Parts: sequence; structure tokens; C-alpha cells
Amino acid sequence: MSRSGYDAAVIGGGANGLVAAATLGKAGQRTLLLEREAALGGQGRVVEFAPGFHAAPLGLDPGWLPAPIARSLGLGGPDGLERSAADTPLTVAVERGAFLSLSRDPARAAEAIGAYSRADAAKWPAFTALLRRLAGFLEELYQTPAPDISASSLGELMPLLGLGRKFRALGRRDMVEFLRTLPLSVWELADDWFEYAPLKAAIATGGIQDHQQGPRSGGTGFVLLHHLVGASAGALRGRAPWRRGPAAFTEAAERAARSAGVEIRTGAGVARIQVKGDAVVGVVLESGEEIPVRGVLSTGNPVRTLTEWVDPVWLDPEFMHAVGNIRHRGCTAIVLYALESLPEFPGLASKEALAGIVSLTPSLRLLESAADAAKYGEVSERPHVELTAPTLHWPELAPEGRHVLVARAQYAPYRLRGDAAWDATTRDALAARVTVAIDSAAPGFRSRVLQRVALSPLDLEERFGLREGAASQGELGLDQILFMRPVAGWGNHRTPIAGLYLGGVGSHPGPGVLGGAGWLAAKRLLSDRRR
Amino acid sequence: MSRRYDAIIIGGGHNGLVAAAYLARAGRKTLVLERRPMIGGAAVTEEVFPGFKFSVFSYVVSLLRPEIIRDLDLPRHGLQILPLESTVTPMENGDYLASWSDPDETRRELCRHSPRDADASVVFGRLMHHMAMAVRPILGMVPPDPASLSPRDLAGLLKLGGHFRSLGPERFHALHKLMTMSSADYLDEWFEFDALKATRSASGIIGTFLGPRSPGSAYVLLHHYMGEIDGAFRAWGFQKGGTGAISDSIASAARAHGAEIRTGAGVERVLVSGGRATGVALSSGEEIAANLVVSGLDPRLTFTRLVDPKELPEPLVEGIRRYKFRGSSGKVNLALSGLPNFTCMPGEGPHLRGAMSISPSIEYLERAYDDAKYGEFSRHPYMDIVIPSMIDPGMAPPGKHVMSIFVQYAPYSLNGGWTDQKREAFGDAVVKTLARYAPNIESLILHRQVLTPDDIERITGLTEGNIFQGELALQQLFFLRPVPEWAKYRTPIRGYWQCGAGTHPGGGIMGASGRLAALEMLRGAA
Repeated sequence: MSRSGYDAAVIGGGANGLVAAATLGKAGQRTLLLEREAALGGQGRVVEFAPGFHAAPLGLDPGWLPAPIARSLGLGGPDGLERSAADTPLTVAVERGAFLSLSRDPARAAEAIGAYSRADAAKWPAFTALLRRLAGFLEELYQTPAPDISASSLGELMPLLGLGRKFRALGRRDMVEFLRTLPLSVWELADDWFEYAPLKAAIATGGIQDHQQGPRSGGTGFVLLHHLVGASAGALRGRAPWRRGPAAFTEAAERAARSAGVEIRTGAGVARIQVKGDAVVGVVLESGEEIPVRGVLSTGNPVRTLTEWVDPVWLDPEFMHAVGNIRHRGCTAIVLYALESLPEFPGLASKEALAGIVSLTPSLRLLESAADAAKYGEVSERPHVELTAPTLHWPELAPEGRHVLVARAQYAPYRLRGDAAWDATTRDALAARVTVAIDSAAPGFRSRVLQRVALSPLDLEERFGLREGAASQGELGLDQILFMRPVAGWGNHRTPIAGLYLGGVGSHPGPGVLGGAGWLAAKRLLSDRRR
Repeated sequence: MSRRYDAIIIGGGHNGLVAAAYLARAGRKTLVLERRPMIGGAAVTEEVFPGFKFSVFSYVVSLLRPEIIRDLDLPRHGLQILPLESTVTPMENGDYLASWSDPDETRRELCRHSPRDADASVVFGRLMHHMAMAVRPILGMVPPDPASLSPRDLAGLLKLGGHFRSLGPERFHALHKLMTMSSADYLDEWFEFDALKATRSASGIIGTFLGPRSPGSAYVLLHHYMGEIDGAFRAWGFQKGGTGAISDSIASAARAHGAEIRTGAGVERVLVSGGRATGVALSSGEEIAANLVVSGLDPRLTFTRLVDPKELPEPLVEGIRRYKFRGSSGKVNLALSGLPNFTCMPGEGPHLRGAMSISPSIEYLERAYDDAKYGEFSRHPYMDIVIPSMIDPGMAPPGKHVMSIFVQYAPYSLNGGWTDQKREAFGDAVVKTLARYAPNIESLILHRQVLTPDDIERITGLTEGNIFQGELALQQLFFLRPVPEWAKYRTPIRGYWQCGAGTHPGGGIMGASGRLAALEMLRGAA
């Protein structure tokens, strides 16, 4: 076969792209993977932000790798993926410069909470166990194509019944808790269980992560659960990092793709997807090169894929209207610090806490008022700041003895009010606020900073291809998940164009599931092709 | 003990009266007990100031179920709805946005602001009509419990699944969006003109402690839209004589079927013996026996005041504790010496026979919400204003008028608590905000009645002053209202039932809860 004879092209070399390509390659499809950047990795990409200092600004939480994906691609073998076992995934500031560290061991966490509230300590193990069971059901939902009530064929109804059975297996009380928690605000959820303000704030941070809503808003209960898929029991935030950082996964997935015969081209940005007679016939690169293919699986943003890469004449206006209405609303800015040495937080018992997330916001009210600004297109006066020092488990990111501190600041809305724009001034003003916030919790922090680099949502859009700077690539609203993701009725990874599939974070199951969407999209392409 | 009844209804609100009427109609010897000197609950008309009559709390109607009107023959008992013909939103630039009963006129008006929205409005209206039709059967059904394995629940679920599938994917997905989105986001998908979006999303926040940008508010939008499509009448309207006359008409129907109604008869507690309700004890000490005791009060009163929570299973008590009331609205009733003069539409005109909506922009509403979130009443609140005396002159002395102002947000949990000074300050904020759009209002006020959520609770008994007996939030609807497992009007105490708006489908002068509860009781007895 000539160079022009590919069965499938996968656009994007992030986790989804690599998993999709490997899956297609393993199934015998002659597959080409196209990555615009010089390096693979997507959201897990590592950048050198200051001489000798590296970070994966979007890869702090490495995500959940569902077992079937790891198994089918042989990831996680002896040489591959290992999680570092940081004990405290989350630490939250409490009054008077003190911190409360929430161990992933519920008994230890409860002991720490007990210093502030006996009642809350007593409830903690039951609360984390409930979250684990509810997130566990989401895990089931996230490993299968999104069930759609409008499914008509028997083949589509069967998985629905299977999920129904699994849902019932939760038992009566958990079933109800699950349905009740999704639309709930994380504020109400925390209030239902606990009394101690900083503990409630700690819980709420998961419900607003990269989400342009405050903790009082409905649906933040779901956001909390979503980010807990694949997390270990007892953890309140995210998944433990890979021992060698996000690059570990990228390398393992790249190996899997290459050994499945996938051809990988970096520095190959796509300019257009060619369509003829409602079906994909090829892709055109930014260089002008045309590559004929029978199928395209795009892990790029759905809006970008369907409005910029495809000529809209092939899509009907209602569909395009729905695509245009996908909400992204990036609201997180990232500030990277190259440090002489780790900051000293007087209230923090162990520096190990910085291997997880340290939240500087001690109350729901402060989280909520930080969110208020974003509603009106303004940057929070007092942003919610979360810190992680990835060098604690991955020292190679910085020169010997030095450290990297990654601060995530919310809310920094992508769309600013009126004439305001994300330029050097607005970005630096925000970074300065973040520095002040850290410095007030860790006096002297400022003097340890060798270099500071801020990434606004606009920067994240430009550098990482994230539309509106949103890591979610489609806000995690209840109206934008499952069969509604990326748009209503297209949760099956197909598009109205034959041969064009969507398998990026903007598709079901969404952010935080490593290769989840790519894997499901590839399986969809393969099963369609068998027909 | 006095005479024995088949059923005693606690609370003479409209749901209690509807339940009583249905039970009496089925031949049950029924007694309604109302604590206040008048029936109606939150649907009462009172002559608050000599010559000036007010629908003190609930003030407009459209959701009253047509089957109830039919079954109870309410028009014969005095039900007479006078249509509310327009909604006008004064804008901050002195212009206005109006919608009239004539759709063509409304379209022309909207065209003036945004031709694109005028086009979208037609399609939107059709979609909302379909959505309301899609939800309508659900309002008339006892909610099946997806966590249950009983044949009846499974059959109900299958029926419901079939219903949703029959909608087709497009409408099903649209319904899903309405159930989960914020009203602002939902309307953003359709419209561009801010005053239009704000005025429409205002109905999404009524009676709920959510801002228009908070997910969950779009459902309330639909809940209010439903009234606009039902067969009996097409728009929001006034009852002649005020909303109290609706209660009177239901009461009259109930009496015609043989029900007894006693006012000034507050129930102290429900008598329970061996896990079974046997009657009630009044505050006076009198005890009345009955086979069925039905509470029309809200879930907190039903489960924690009328009975000893110790009689109830722990998950139910916990569920009631988690059930959110959070009253967020107040009411200001004004007796006026003349008609207000709105800057945007000077002089008298048809707009004064409709509603004036103070909702100039989404941001305006959202900022009103921000105040309330932090425990203050809105400095510049959302207001829904009507002048009932323009439609029903009997409400005020000749030449004079009554104005009813629904105000949001006024949080039940105000910082420092509600006091007389705070109430007056709240009333002042309302009048002052209104004066920005109708500068002569202050000079017209003869009397002013200000009702905070605290007052609403004190007078009507509604917990935390929530006008829906609990927020209409997704996690408190359908089989979750008021709590899972006990969403079918029954309680764990045999013979003790619930029929208030705190049960499915709840909210507004709808009567559906009372009717469904009565039908369940009759089904159980059959």
C-alpha cells in the first residue's frame, strides 16, 4: 500500500489520541497519528517554563486509567506505570495559619478532623465510603458508550439494561443517594454532613475544580464525584500521580501505539478534514499536504473539529447550533514557580502535603465569593489557590535541590468583561495576587522564587489547544455529560459525517479518564466498520 | 372524643381542600381543620386595610389542574379567572420590553429590540409547549420509585420510560437540558436580548434560592411555563375576588360533597396508637377520632411537629432534616391613592392591567441573588408587580388601587435575623427600586404591608417562608419529594398521609398534590 493508504487518521497525540490509535492499530487498521506539537502528551505535556525547570501545568492530576484500557493495550506492565503513594491527597487551610491534612486513610483523616470537630470526625469514614461507592458507579458508566434513552436497536438497549442491573446492585439507599447527589450543590452536600467550615471548604474544592460555578450552584455535587473516578478509597481529590509524572503514561501509550503498527507524526497540525458525499475522504495538514484516509478520529475539541476542520456545508444548521452552544468557560489560571527551595508553611506539619493538593481557602463563603467575580467576567479579587509541588515525587523536573510549585487559581474567566483582555498586565496582576496569597500562608515565600510564569486561560488555549482554556473541553454540567456530550444525542462518538469520530476529552466520558473517550471512539469506529 | 370521621385533613390550604373535596366526593366523611380564622393557607384574600383587599401571599394563578376544575365543577362554585394580559419590563435606559396577549403584537415589539430573538421566540415557544406537554402526564401520576422492585413501581417506570421514548430523541434531550441547566444558560442558547432573557429567567428563580446562572433554575422556568398551555386557560390570571376566592370555591365544592370545615381549629398533634394514626388533638385539648389523618402542612411540620419523630424511621427523619426550604421571597402589598406612572410607558394604559417585571438584565437578577447568598435582602430586587384592582375593581375603593409586589430575594436567614426595622428597610428598598421606574409611586402610597419570609412562616406556617413547601430543586422533585421511599403521600404511620405541596408535584396553586394524595388513599381503601 502506498503512503496514501491509511485506514484511519487519529488527530491529537494526547492520552485519548494515543489510546485510540493503539486500539485501531491493534485491530489491524493502518493508522496514522497526527500531533500538531513537536511532543506528544496533550494535557499531560511537560514544558520547560524556566531554564532547567519543568512542569506539566495540566497534568497534576494524572487521571484514571480504566483497567480494560490498560489491559487491552498492555499498559501498566512491569516497566510501565506506577503510582506514587502520597498519603495526603488534600490539605486545607484552617484559621490562624494552621492546616488540616486529609489522609487517604479515613481513620487517620478522622483523627486529624477530630482536633476540630468530634462529630465531623465520626462521620468522615462513612462519607468517604459513600463517595467511593457513588464514584464507583460513575466508573461503570464511563467504561461503556453513553446509554441513550432514545436508543432504538436491541444492541444499544442491551448495555442500558446491563447498567440498570449495576445501578440496582448499588442497593436502595445508594441508588437514591446517587440520583440525589448529581444535581445537588457541593455546598449542600457538605452542609448535610459536616459542621467544620474548613472541612466543608475542602470537600467543595473538588466540586468546583475547573468549573465556572461556585459551590452553591446545582450540579457541583456531580463535578465532585466525576473527579473521584479512579481515586483510591478515602481520597477526596484526584488520583495519585504516576511515579514518573504524566510523561510516564505518554511514553507507555506511545510504545503501545507503535508496537500496534501506528505511524506517529509530530509537528503535523491538521488544517482540514476532507469530506465528500457525507463521508470522510482525507485530511489536509497545515503544511498543505493531503493525506487520503477512510476514517478520522479527532481528539481535538469538538467545536474546533466540526466548525474549523470540517466545511460546515456538510452539517445541518440545528446540529451546528448545538455545537456552537457547547459551554467551555475555562476559569483556571496556572502560575508556575521555579523555587530556590520549598516554601515553609508554619502551619503545615509535613512538607509531604505539598505532594498532594494544598488549598489555601478555608471556607465555602470565600470559595463562593471568588466565583461571583467570574459571573461578571472579572478575575477574583481573592482567588481560590491550590498548590502542588510535583518535584516532591518527581525531582527531575528541577535542577538538583530546587523545586517547582504549581499554583492553580480560580476564578480567572476566559471571557473578561467589556474591554478587558488577557494580556501581560491582567496575567501579572493575577499572578501577583496568587503570590500574595501564598506568601501570607508561607512567609518568606517570595524570596525563594527564582522565576514565575503565569498561564491565563487564553495562554492555555494557545499553548495546549484547549478551547477557552477549559481543561474539561466542555463544562461538566449535567446537560453536557453522557448522551449529551459533546451535544445531545451524539454521545456515541459518531458525527453526522460518516467516518468522522470524536474521541477527545470533549466527548463521553470526559476529562480525567485516560484514553476513555479515545478508546470508546475507536471501538465505535471498528464496530461500524465491521458492519 | 366527639364524632368519628373517615378522614381528617390538617390545614385548609388549597391542597388540603382539594384532598377533602375528592375524599368527600367518594363518600368519605371528611373534616378539614384550619388553624387560622380563614381557610386558604397561602391562597387567601384579606381586607388588610379598610376597603383594600389583597391576595396577601399567592397572587396569580395558572397551574390549577384542569381535571380538578372539571371534577369539582369549580366554576359553579365561584372560580373565575380573569386573564393577565401583558408583561412589561422597564429597562434601565428608559425603554421597555412588552409581551401582549396578541402574539403578533408581541412579535412586533420584540422585533423592535432584536429581530433574531423575535424569530427564535416562535420556535422556542413551540418547544416549550411540547416540553410542558411532555411533563404534563408526570404531574398527574404518582411518582414511581426507581429504587423499588415492587411490580407497581416497575410498571410505572416502564410506562414512564415508554413515555420518554415516545417523545423522540430531540424532545427528550431538550427536556433533559431543561431539567439540568441554569435558566440563563438555557435562554442564552436561544436569545440575545438581555431584558428578554432576564424576564424569562425570572420565572426560573421564583420561590427558589438559586440565581439565574445556577443549574437547576431552568426547571422552575418550565414549571411556571406549564400554566400557559393547559386547556382551561392559556395565561396567568387573577381570580375574581383574589386568590382567597379560589380556596373558597374549592371549599364550597368540598362542602357540597358533604365535607365539614372548621376554622380556628389548630391541630396540636396527630394521635398515634400502635403505629397507626387514630385521630388528632387540637390546641384546645379536644380530640377527634378518624380512620385517616392527612397533613396538608409542609414536610417538616408533618414529620417533626405533628408526630413524634421517634415514631419514624431514622432515614426519613434524616431526609426531612436535609430537605431544603430556604424561603427566598417576600411580598409587599400597597394601597394606592392612584395609578403609578411608569417612565417607560407614561400614563394609563393596558400595561397596568398586566404584570410589570423589574428584571432589566440577567446581571441585575444575579446581583440580587448575590446579596441574598450572603444573608442580606437584595438592595435592588427582582419584582413581579400587578395591580389587581385594574382588573377586578372590587379589590379597592373607587378610584383607588391595590398593588401586589412579589419580591426576590429576601432570605429567611437574614444576617442578624428579621426585625421590625429590617422589615421596613426591606420595604423601603422595594419602594425605592420601584420608584426608579415609576417615580410617583412614593406619593401614592396610603398603606404598606411588608411580608418577609419570617412573616410568611409566622402567619401561614410555611417553614422558612418557602412558598412551595420546599424548594423545587431537582434533588427534591418527583420520587425524591419530600424524601425517597415516602414520596407517594404515605407515611410510615399507617393511616397518616401527606397531601401538601411538599409532595410531588408541588408548588403553585396547582392542587395536584391534594388530588393525587386523595386518589391514593381511595385506591388503598378500595
